[in-house]
Amino acid sequence: MKDVITKTQVLSHSIDKVWDAISKAEELSTWFIKADFKAEVGYRYTFTSDGKEGCEPILGVVQKAEPYTLIYTWEVQNTNVETTVKWELEDLGGKTRLYLEHSGISKYAGDTAIKMYTDFNGGWDNCISLLDEYLLNEIHAE
Amino acid sequence: MQSKITKILKAIADPTRREIFHALVVAATAMPITQISGQFAISRQGITKHLKTLEDAGLIQIQTKGRERFCLADPLPLQEVNHWLKFYERFWDDTLQNLSSYLDNKA
Repeated sequence: MKDVITKTQVLSHSIDKVWDAISKAEELSTWFIKADFKAEVGYRYTFTSDGKEGCEPILGVVQKAEPYTLIYTWEVQNTNVETTVKWELEDLGGKTRLYLEHSGISKYAGDTAIKMYTDFNGGWDNCISLLDEYLLNEIHAE
Repeated sequence: MQSKITKILKAIADPTRREIFHALVVAATAMPITQISGQFAISRQGITKHLKTLEDAGLIQIQTKGRERFCLADPLPLQEVNHWLKFYERFWDDTLQNLSSYLDNKA
């Protein structure tokens, strides 16, 4: 079974701007998922989607956090399966190459896979911040 | 009631069942249960139980011809599992798209 998911994307923004977006709780909570997060090694973070059904919190520990590499463990609550998420940024002079790696996926097997599937089917897709909605509200607020 | 995907995941969660299923896929033809149990060091009763689980998941078809029962593999339902495994692919695609829009719209 495939064990690692990798994504690469070039963003038209400075490396520090991207770094802040992926490492600061306030920014993560805006575009990703409600985050209690600190980019400090050993910090036990929590990603939650409060008020949304079927969204199990994600818990983990920061393993590495120095510009521009961020690594943390990723455990969907009650699954007892620990995977690892790594973000790496590369300065392209005004632009930034973002490299994302999520490893340990094959550990989701048997009963865990069933649970995960059920949870995800129950609306996990909606757990990520609905950014479009957020931006729309921002515009209305102005 | 168990969903289809749950049955499939349960069926393939067991290593012996995966081996039985694999043997049937490789055979690419209907195999008599007697012949299947001859390939595994477990009781015929045990094999029958595993085959029933595989049948419930839609991964094999069991047909009776005369005194013998024949099993035929059907790997098509596995596509559902593959679909599920793509969950994180989609998840991260969506996430990175969100990040990109967020940065684009940030003052």
